[in-house]
Amino acid sequence: MVVLEVLNPVAPQRGTANALKPNPRPKTLDNKTVGLVWSGTHGGDVALKRAGEMLQQRFKGVKVNFYTGGNYPTPPNVLKQAGAESDVVIGATAD
Amino acid sequence: MIEVEKMGKPAIPIVSGRFDSDAAASSRAFGMPDLQWVVVPRIYRNLPIDDCVKQTEDAINDIVKKLTSNGSAKPVEAPKIEPHERFQGADRFEAAMRMNDEFMKRDLGDGFPLLPATREAVDALLKGTKLPKDHVVCDMPPGFGIATVEKIAINAALAGAKPEHMPVIIAAVKGLSQIGGQGGKSLLMSTSPQAPLLVVNGPIAQQLGLNPRAALGPGKDNQVNIVIGRAFYLCMKNIGYWYPNQMDMDTIGTTRKFVMCVAENEAMSPWEPFHVDKGFKRTDSTISIFVTDGELDVQDQGNTTAEGLLKNLAYGISFGTYNIQGKGGGGERLIFMPPDVAKPIGDQEFSKQAAREFIHKHASISLGKAIQYMPLKGEARVAERWRFLEGLTEEQRIQIQVPVLKSEEDCYIVVVGADRAKTAVFPSGPAPVTVGIDQFRP
Repeated sequence: MVVLEVLNPVAPQRGTANALKPNPRPKTLDNKTVGLVWSGTHGGDVALKRAGEMLQQRFKGVKVNFYTGGNYPTPPNVLKQAGAESDVVIGATAD
Repeated sequence: MIEVEKMGKPAIPIVSGRFDSDAAASSRAFGMPDLQWVVVPRIYRNLPIDDCVKQTEDAINDIVKKLTSNGSAKPVEAPKIEPHERFQGADRFEAAMRMNDEFMKRDLGDGFPLLPATREAVDALLKGTKLPKDHVVCDMPPGFGIATVEKIAINAALAGAKPEHMPVIIAAVKGLSQIGGQGGKSLLMSTSPQAPLLVVNGPIAQQLGLNPRAALGPGKDNQVNIVIGRAFYLCMKNIGYWYPNQMDMDTIGTTRKFVMCVAENEAMSPWEPFHVDKGFKRTDSTISIFVTDGELDVQDQGNTTAEGLLKNLAYGISFGTYNIQGKGGGGERLIFMPPDVAKPIGDQEFSKQAAREFIHKHASISLGKAIQYMPLKGEARVAERWRFLEGLTEEQRIQIQVPVLKSEEDCYIVVVGADRAKTAVFPSGPAPVTVGIDQFRP
């Protein structure tokens, strides 16, 4: 029996080496501001707007803000504004 | 959405079924393996409105859950990377076949048999560069794996590369990381078939035996072209995490992803080589990384004047789509011009720059046809200055002619090819990057 030892070609990723955890979630979306970030592609706006409507129906006092930079990836300034003005954010690239 | 999470706010993307694995791979690559997302069955982009609404309504419970429950999904585990792996067999051949079976299962190759990257094989390759094995060349896109010289050598060993190929492969890896936005990350992950194409200039091309003639096909003439391109592709895969259906989301794919490395046919060019255009000396050895998005043969059946040859090329590159987003405008073209086209043009006192200007001047397309891919209504990506198009009829839009290229700077001429006036044209972009190879030689 022959044993062939080889080196692993797969490299570790920078992203997993410096991994961050997602933020704690609120218990409810009551009285929260929901940011909707659209990449500008067909259908994504429809999805986000419908999701926003349904959240407003399901929770009290939900405010919805809609953001788009008109392109993918969403420009940093638009993401920054959405993050600053919202309690939670939903994004859609339509893919 | 990771950028929003980094600002301290919970954020979730809605992704479509096939992109679930892409979301998992991307969340690892971009630094938040436990990012939460919601999956809907179909891609929104070409769905009727009613279907967009319906699949969103069906996902609302999951949207609420992912926004209000901590750890509501199982954390995504990063794959464990063992430094060595062992395979047994009755003999070395059988053990190598078992390695291939296992690597194929994990999609670590290109579908062809891989050579074993033994310690001895890798050490031999490491002698091909002056860099130490733990030197980090870059974080390689699109998945930003850490490209140490040793990991590059391991992938080069799988491809069958030789030590003298190492400086070229290292330079190519470095070059990719310098292309466009984050090494062309979004393009590489696109559902369109963007693929790198490597062009070597300078003395090393001949020293290694890179073919500058019929340089893109299979066979013995292109052995070095194939091996270096293959080594680079395997680096993209196993270091850059360019795995199909994870961070390479092609709809159909392309054979150009069997990456090829060609040499410019400097000896038969009437002009200075490409790397001299980029500020290098003729005696420097370089590699240029182009990202291509298609390929077309432009034949010429008898033009002999420079104007005739160039007009044929200008008309031949006049295809494709036109960008009416952001700054937008025309695209880019990489032109592999064979000596039988380049030489008469150069002999008739057209500099390369004059040839590029001539091509740009004569290459135009119908705007209406070139934007049909993107309906104007309901499309936020259309720039304000193009909004007037919504008020025109289709026939009026078709009558508008626009230049194929933004400027002559976006036309890259590289002399490649054997005898015959058949030019290869590649839609390309973002702009290529040229990296010196000599700095990596022993």
